Amino acid sequence: MKQYDVVVIGGGSAGLAAALEIKKQGIDHVLILERDAELGGILLQCIHNGFGLKVFKEELTGPEYAERFVQELLEMGIEYKLNSMVTKLNPDKTIEYANVNEGFVKISARAVVLAMGCYERNSGSISIPGNRPSGVLTAGSAQKYLNIDGYLVGKRVFILGSGDIGLIMARRMTLEGAKVLGVAEVLPFSGGLKRNIVQCLDDYDIPLYLSHTVTDIIGESKVEKIVISQVDNFVPIPGTEKTFEIDTLLLSVGLVPENSLSERCGIILDKKTKGPVVNESYQTNIEGIFACGNVLHVHDLVDFVTEESRKAGRSVVRYLNHELNATNNMINVLPKNGVSYLLPQEINLSNLVTPMDIFMRVNKEFKNAEIVISNGDTVIKRIKKKHLAPAEMEKFILKDVDLTGDMIDINVAIEVQS
Amino acid sequence: MYDVIIIGSGISGATIARELSRFQLKTIILEKEYDVAMEATMANSAIVHSGHDPIPGTLKAKFNILGNRMYKQMSEELDIPYMACGGMVTAINEDQVHLIEELYERALINGLRSDEVKIIDQETVRSLEPNIADGVIKALHLPTTAVTFPWEAAIANIENAMDNGVELALENKVIKIEKLDRFVVTTDKSVYEAKVVINATGVYGTDVAKLVTNPHFEIRPRRGEYYVLDKDVRLVNSVIYPAPSEKGKGVIVTPQYHGNTLLGPTSEYVAFSEISKTTASGLEYIKENVAQTVQNIPYHKIVRSFAGGRATSSTEDFVIEESEVKGFINVCGIESPGLTAAPAFAKYVVEELVSVHFEMKPNTDYNPRRRKVLRTNELTFDELNNSFHDNQKYGRIICRCEKITEGEIVDAINRNCGARSVVGVKNRVRAGAGRCQGGFCQSEVINILARELKVDKLDIVYNKAGSNILKETTKGEQK
Ligand SMILES: Cc1cc2nc3c(=O)[nH]c(=O)nc-3n(C[C@H](O)[C@H](O)[C@H](O)COP(=O)(O)OP(=O)(O)OC[C@H]3O[C@@H](n4cnc5c(N)ncnc54)[C@H](O)[C@@H]3O)c2cc1C
Ligand SMILES: Cc1cc2nc3c(=O)[nH]c(=O)nc-3n(C[C@H](O)[C@H](O)[C@H](O)COP(=O)(O)OP(=O)(O)OC[C@H]3O[C@@H](n4cnc5c(N)ncnc54)[C@H](O)[C@@H]3O)c2cc1C
Repeated sequence: MKQYDVVVIGGGSAGLAAALEIKKQGIDHVLILERDAELGGILLQCIHNGFGLKVFKEELTGPEYAERFVQELLEMGIEYKLNSMVTKLNPDKTIEYANVNEGFVKISARAVVLAMGCYERNSGSISIPGNRPSGVLTAGSAQKYLNIDGYLVGKRVFILGSGDIGLIMARRMTLEGAKVLGVAEVLPFSGGLKRNIVQCLDDYDIPLYLSHTVTDIIGESKVEKIVISQVDNFVPIPGTEKTFEIDTLLLSVGLVPENSLSERCGIILDKKTKGPVVNESYQTNIEGIFACGNVLHVHDLVDFVTEESRKAGRSVVRYLNHELNATNNMINVLPKNGVSYLLPQEINLSNLVTPMDIFMRVNKEFKNAEIVISNGDTVIKRIKKKHLAPAEMEKFILKDVDLTGDMIDINVAIEVQS
Repeated sequence: MYDVIIIGSGISGATIARELSRFQLKTIILEKEYDVAMEATMANSAIVHSGHDPIPGTLKAKFNILGNRMYKQMSEELDIPYMACGGMVTAINEDQVHLIEELYERALINGLRSDEVKIIDQETVRSLEPNIADGVIKALHLPTTAVTFPWEAAIANIENAMDNGVELALENKVIKIEKLDRFVVTTDKSVYEAKVVINATGVYGTDVAKLVTNPHFEIRPRRGEYYVLDKDVRLVNSVIYPAPSEKGKGVIVTPQYHGNTLLGPTSEYVAFSEISKTTASGLEYIKENVAQTVQNIPYHKIVRSFAGGRATSSTEDFVIEESEVKGFINVCGIESPGLTAAPAFAKYVVEELVSVHFEMKPNTDYNPRRRKVLRTNELTFDELNNSFHDNQKYGRIICRCEKITEGEIVDAINRNCGARSVVGVKNRVRAGAGRCQGGFCQSEVINILARELKVDKLDIVYNKAGSNILKETTKGEQK
């Protein structure tokens, strides 16, 4: 059985950044296993720009952003295998993968980085009433058909869900000559970034129906019509129905971290993020298995993925150099009022490298609010925010000075200023 | 000129076709859809019922028990998944205890042996089913209840029938039947002639029968809706029925062969156009009712919902008989337990009804076995590499949720009764049936279909004629 220092599962932006960081810190035997025919992950189908403002201080397209990392990877001589799907991960860090050249292969690693990204929630998981015709597909699949394969899936389009991919596809399909009739969002606020609402909907006069959902799908072989209704707290209000004649319904109803490998390996997942529970070193409950990027929690900006993955990479190196203490003296990072999740979920103070980024999402919209961070009952700091929304990931930093005294648990809550 | 035309390729038509292929008869199946088994056989609970429940003396009772006893062997011969998981009918109050005691008696009258049915107490129920609802106080235990994989059962029967000489004509909707000295059967595509015609058209049974006879029964579609839970949810070990009511067998919790769990069905008469529609109210009904029998249901793990139509007959029983027009045989009103009963009534149809019209010489080349399907996710590591060494395509995983290789997909396309559509592939090898529902692999499945069938990608359909997924190539792209 072949032995590696580190095996990275997934060659998207997370896997690439982690592998590069690990190699740069002097670890030699690093392998990236990527299921697709190319490195880059989801970035390859995001041909719009808006990537890299933080990391490169310029606006790149997805493929351009990926290319910079792939180039560096080649220069550094990091080993990678394409068309190679990992089928099994074991707690002893042995890994099984398959490809057409080698067949089914078992290897072992001293450390593993999970970087499998996520998958899109689909019509199955949201149980829309009605028929099951063709022409109902996720926005990401339509994006792949269009940007990678060169095929348009339809000409009269409606979009359910205001996630970023849906918004981007509204513009993209319009530019390709399709008519996008509207976007319905069940919540009273958008699930996508503000800039995408403006640049992808408003600029093209595509209406956004907030507090609306699809209540019927009509069509025998191909979708012909949909009915949308206004909702009151998720319940459709009779009499508010609107009908649209369409040939395509795109779904942009959220992403789910792809953790079937992790779950079967016994890695504990967070109910909210649907990604692994990790500590300050991005290590999961299984020693030597780390996670970063969309497999950990859904990111809306690739720059954050890169930063997070570099940090995870540095932790891997510390782990391999026996610089990480075993998990004692853990404090919890707990979401309180208004906070949906926090990441990492646990901190081992003896391993903490400051300044430490804490990522979070709120569970509803707030205006003129404060993020209040406390140690038990003692407030450590307050951060003023004009606007907080579930669609926009927030980040705050913990410094040494924040962590003096006896640490109990770190509680994070949102307080609205009166 | 054929000896026998079978109209309909659900489990009824499929098992009858295989049964006919034992004899030297020239047989063809006419099916209106793009693929076989797209109606009731596609949307049901997949239960091989024990036979405890039909009213004694009915055809349902007779063929249910016989069918149950034939299923295992049929599944072995045709390599159809079969899970001998058992079942139980639960009771939550004294009235229901009374009902299951009556069912116990009925089961014995129907022919279950005394070791095939038993009343068990709360403690035993709990030990068998940790997630049983707290309110369940007793149950009727049915060890011979099993679970099949319904459309694969139909596909396998048809494939085997075709291996033994039967023909299949898809996208041929029967619209006219004339009785001369033979039958002249007109479809929307072509004309076929035969001495005997078998009407196995599910919910359309009366409509097709009316083309040439004056049926004494009326078939009305009765819809059943379902939720499907992800396969990592291990909710129940066996089939959990509520105590029966006037609405039939009620909302059942059924473990599936591949690990998913089904919650359903509902029961509601609907218009033909509404059969496969799911509704918000139906799905709510399931949630309410299922709570009586099973608890701890993770509703956030739903991967799909669907609906199917039972062919409910005004006679309240199966209609399996030669009509007043000689040679025109009805296999109608095949609602539950039709899936279970099919291998038994197929034998009856051929040996008792068709046989009077022909000499019935055995087909000496008849092979009861279907070539085994290589299912890579059931193989050990070494077996995987053996299959890979025979064919590299077994090393290329296409569907990442279900771990289905290109080799399996290509095989499913190139067999008799092979896949021609995206759903056809999914129904045969489960590529796209997992939690991402084809989000990642659908485009690759389209590529493979187009290559193997030697057609353009734009011509690949989702499930039906006209359900093409790709609309056009974009500017500047070459086909
Ligand atoms: C459609 C879309 C649009 C976006 N738009 C923007 C934007 O405009 N601006 C911005 O900054 N950010 C955007 N983002 C966010 C950002 O691009 C992503 O968060 C980031 O690229 C995710 O990187 P990742 O490496 O975690 O995941 P991915 O890029 O998904 O990479 C995961 C990789 O793992 C591989 N993999 C999975 N399972 C296995 C396995 N078992 N074996 C081997 N390989 C496996 C996959 O093939 C894939 O290549 C967008 C995201 C999406 C999904
Ligand atoms: C909700 C539900 C749950 C069920 N659960 C169970 C269960 O757990 N166990 C069990 O044993 N049974 C169960 N059943 C019953 C079982 O599914 C059916 O009895 C069985 O599938 C019927 O098969 P069939 O071949 O008669 O009909 P179908 O599968 O409906 O096949 C009829 C075929 O005829 C074709 N056809 C119709 N008209 C024409 C035409 N004019 N020309 C050409 N072709 C035509 C149709 O396209 C179709 O392919 C259930 C049924 C339902 C609906």
